[in-house]
Amino acid sequence: MMNLDPDTFKMPQARPFGQVDKPILRLEGIRKVYGAHVVLDDVNLTLRSGEVVAVIGPSGSGKSTLLRCINMLGPATSGRVVFGDLTIDEAASPTTQQLTHLRRSVGMVFQSFNLFPHMSVLRNVSLPQERVLGRSRKEANRRSLELLARVGLEDKADQYPARCSGGQQQRIAIARALALEPQIMLFDEPTSSLDPELGLEVLAVMQELARSGMTMIVVTHEMNFAETVSDRVIIMADGKIIEEGPSKQVMRDPQSDRAKRFLKAVKDR
Amino acid sequence: MSSEIFLGVARGIPLTLAVTVAAFVFGAVLGLPLCAMRVSKFASLRFVALGYVVLFRSIPPLLLVFVFYFGLGSGYIPMSAFQGVVLGLGLIAAANMSEIYRGALSAIHAGQWEAATALALPVRSAYLDVIAPQLLRVSLPSTAGYAVGLLKESAIASTIGIADITFNAGYIARMTYQGLPVFAIAAFFYIMISLPIAALARATDKKLRARLAL
Amino acid sequence: MSELLGFWIASLPQLLGGLVVSLKVTGVSLVIGIPLGLLLALGVQSKTRLVNLVSLLIVEVGRGAPALVVLQFAYFGLPSAGLTLTAFAAAVFALAWNTGAYTSEIIRAGLESVPYGEIEASSAMGMLRSDTLRFVIIPQGLRVAAPPLLGFATQILQATSLCFAIALPELTSNAYMIGTTSFRYMEILTLAGILYAAICIPATLAVGVLEQRLGKHAL
Repeated sequence: MMNLDPDTFKMPQARPFGQVDKPILRLEGIRKVYGAHVVLDDVNLTLRSGEVVAVIGPSGSGKSTLLRCINMLGPATSGRVVFGDLTIDEAASPTTQQLTHLRRSVGMVFQSFNLFPHMSVLRNVSLPQERVLGRSRKEANRRSLELLARVGLEDKADQYPARCSGGQQQRIAIARALALEPQIMLFDEPTSSLDPELGLEVLAVMQELARSGMTMIVVTHEMNFAETVSDRVIIMADGKIIEEGPSKQVMRDPQSDRAKRFLKAVKDR
Repeated sequence: MSSEIFLGVARGIPLTLAVTVAAFVFGAVLGLPLCAMRVSKFASLRFVALGYVVLFRSIPPLLLVFVFYFGLGSGYIPMSAFQGVVLGLGLIAAANMSEIYRGALSAIHAGQWEAATALALPVRSAYLDVIAPQLLRVSLPSTAGYAVGLLKESAIASTIGIADITFNAGYIARMTYQGLPVFAIAAFFYIMISLPIAALARATDKKLRARLAL
Repeated sequence: MSELLGFWIASLPQLLGGLVVSLKVTGVSLVIGIPLGLLLALGVQSKTRLVNLVSLLIVEVGRGAPALVVLQFAYFGLPSAGLTLTAFAAAVFALAWNTGAYTSEIIRAGLESVPYGEIEASSAMGMLRSDTLRFVIIPQGLRVAAPPLLGFATQILQATSLCFAIALPELTSNAYMIGTTSFRYMEILTLAGILYAAICIPATLAVGVLEQRLGKHAL
C-alpha cells in the first residue's frame, strides 16, 4: 500500500504552489547544436518551487535533451542554468563540487529505469546514499526501506530488479532518486516503456509526489497526466517552446497552429 | 644496431610468409567441408566434426607440429620440417576456420534461407549463389584476425629448424650476444607484416560491402 | 598395447612434473596478467594522453609480437641489459604481458557491454566516476568477460608449450626429452597431448556452462 503522507514524508520544499518567491530553477538561452542540426533553439524556462510542469510535443522536439541540460548529463552548447545560488554556464566545465551539488538536488527518473541489475533492490536505493551523501549503511538502508514502503514495494527489498515488473522497477527507480532528497525531480518519459496498466501504478506514485509539494518537470506522452496533474504545460516542437501556460488552458485551447496540430493528432488517436 | 643484424633477421621473412600462407590456405580450404559437417543434418557427421574441432583446439600447436615432425617423421612417414609445420598448423587452422564459417552462417539473416526456399531454389544454388557470397563478406574480419594469429604461430617453425624470422633472430642473438635488439627487431617485423593484412582486410571488406550492398 | 601402456606409465611421473610446471606458469601469468588487462582496458580509454599512449603501446606490442619471440627476448635478450631472469621468470614475464594485452580487449568489451543508461543514472545521482566504475561498471563488466577469460586461460596453458625454447622443464619439453632418449616420439608426444586435452577440453565445456548461467542476472 502506498502511503505518501505529506507530514512525515520529508520534502524540503513542501510549499503550496502560487507563493510569490524567487524561482527555484531558471534556464536561460539554452541552445544545443550537433554540427548543422539545431536541437534546442534558445529555450527559456522558469520553474517555481512546488510547481509541476509537463513537457509534451512530437518526437525529436528536444524535450529529453532539455532535461539533460538541466542536470548537465548532456550539456548544451550555450546558455545558463540558475539553481538557487548556483549559476552554471552550459559551455563551461563546472567543478565536481558544483556538479555533485546540482545532481544531489535534482533527481532524475529515466524511461528505461536504469536500475543496477547486479544488486538487490535495497542496495540499488542505498548505494547512492552511501556514496553521494556519505550515510552509513544502516542509516541508508533504513531510509531505503521507508521510501520503498512509500512506493509500496518494501517486500521487494531483497529481490533483484530482474524479478520485478516494469512498473515495479520504475517505482524503485523513483525511490532511488528520492533517496537523495532532491528539491526537483525530472522525469524523462517515465511510462513510455510500460504497458498501460503498469504505467498507472507509476503515474499514481507521481501524482502523490506532486500532491506532497515536490517540484517536478515531466516529459511525457500521457496527456491525461499533463492535463489533470500538472500545473503548467509546455509544448515543444523543433527545439523551441511553441506554447506554454496553465495546463487546462493549453490542453483544451491551444493558441498556435503547430500546437493545435499536435494536440489534434494526439486526441484523434 | 648494425644493418647486418637487421638484414640477417629480415632474411627470415620469406619463410615466415610461406609457412603462414600455406597453413592458412590449408586451413581455409579444409575448414569448408568441416563446417558443412558441423551443420549437417546427419548426427554422426556432426559428432565427428565436433570431436575434431574440440580436439584440435585443445592441443598446443607446438606439440602437434612435434607429433608430425618428430613423431610421424621419425620412420613412419617421410616428413620435411616444412610439411610438418604446415600440417600441424593447418589442421588446427581448419578447426578454427570451420568455427569462423559457422559463426558467419548463423549471422546471415535467417530470412535469406526462407526466401531461397520460398523461391524453390535448389539447395546447391541456394548455397552457391545466395549464401556463399555473403558468407565471404561476413567472415572476412574474423578470418583476417585469424590470419594474423597464424602469422604469429608460424614462429613455431623456428623450433624445428626452418629459417624464418624467429630462427634467424635466435641464431644471430647467439652469435652476437645482442639478444635485446635482435629479438626486438624480430617482434617489430611481425608487427609490421600484420599491418598490411589488417589493412587489406578492411579495404576488401569495404569493396565487398559496396558491391553486395550489405 | 600393454607395452605401450607400460611405457606411458613409466613416463608419467616426469610428464606430470612438467604439467605441474606448465600449470604454475599459467597460474602466475594469469594472476599477474588479468589485473594488468583490467588496468590496460581502463588505460586505453583514459583521457590522459600519456596513459593512453603507453597503454596502447603495451597492448599492441603484446598482441602483435609472437609469444615465442617475447619469451626469447625475455630469456636471451634482457641479460644484455643487465636483467637476467630464470626460465620461469622469463616465461611469466612474457606470458603475463601476452595475457594482459589480449585480456585488455576482452575486459574492455565486457566493460562496454554495461548499458549506458545505468551510467547515466549514476551520473544523474551525482555519483563520482570512480564510484560508478567500482560499483556499476566493473562488477558487471567482469561478469560478462568471465567466460572468454576462462577460454583464454586454456590458451595460455597451451602457450606454455612454447617455453620449450627457453629450456623450461614444462610438459612439452619433458616429453621431447623422453623422446630423444627413447626415440619413441610418437608415443610420448601423444601422451603429452592427452594430458593437455584432459585439462583443456573440460575447461572449454565449463566455459559453455558458465556462459549459460551468467545470463541469469542480466536485465
